[in-house]
Amino acid sequence: MPRGDFLGSLELMVMLAVMRLGTDAYGMTVRREIEERTGREISIGAVYATLERLEAKGYVSSFTGEPTAERGGRAKRHFEIEAAGHAALSASQNALKNMSEGLGRRWKRA
Amino acid sequence: MSPSTIALSQRILAWLMPPAQAEALLGDLLEERRLRLQAGSQVSVAGWYWRQLASSVPVLLWASVRRGAWLITVVTAVASYIAAAGIQFVLLYALSPMTTSMSVREVVALLSFAAALAACGYVAASIRPGAARLLAFLAFAETCAMLAIGTRAPLWFGGSLLVLGPAAAIAGAALSGRWRTG
Repeated sequence: MPRGDFLGSLELMVMLAVMRLGTDAYGMTVRREIEERTGREISIGAVYATLERLEAKGYVSSFTGEPTAERGGRAKRHFEIEAAGHAALSASQNALKNMSEGLGRRWKRA
Repeated sequence: MSPSTIALSQRILAWLMPPAQAEALLGDLLEERRLRLQAGSQVSVAGWYWRQLASSVPVLLWASVRRGAWLITVVTAVASYIAAAGIQFVLLYALSPMTTSMSVREVVALLSFAAALAACGYVAASIRPGAARLLAFLAFAETCAMLAIGTRAPLWFGGSLLVLGPAAAIAGAALSGRWRTG
């Protein structure tokens, strides 16, 4: 993997949320998943901008669902992780694991 | 939520994102708003809705700049404005031998600039609807600057230009049928 292809922190969270949500991954659920699991308040615009960036990199793909009444007749845009996305996730997770390995006591002090 | 609030949100989002994405995002906002209304008050949920929209604008604006949409819009608007000035110059040059009266020349200048802006507004809107809006703003801003600096032109000329310039650009865009589509 090229050096610049590690995921940023928001990209990582969005990718993990999409992975967790599976077939139910779309803007609103991704936003709520991140907010509920991390306590980090995030705007729906930030989620969409991140997903757009990830899609441009080929890490996720999207498709349009059926319009529903509770959304004012608007369709959902579902997201799923592509093979390149899985590779990028693994690389970022491994990099984090390698960087934090052996920091046990110092980690606790921080 | 009132239809006008939804229409305003739709307009803001459509300005920042491709139409399909804007619709999906608005659908997400409305869906979560409905969920939140089951547990919260109208006022707190309305506050949440507008906070979401307001905090989304800067990041979506930046995303649209990265997408290059803004650059194309700005270049189209500026090029249209320069073209309008060029057309006006040619028209004035062609018509000036016909009269020596200063006020007739000012009327000709006004009308030729309006005609040029209408034509360029039409072309700009055909390329990018947002470019026609920016063109109208450029015409307005330039006239404001001209009036603030103070020129030899009479006040009626400046006042008419202030209204006629942007109106002509908007009229041209409306003729193309793409004033409100993007």
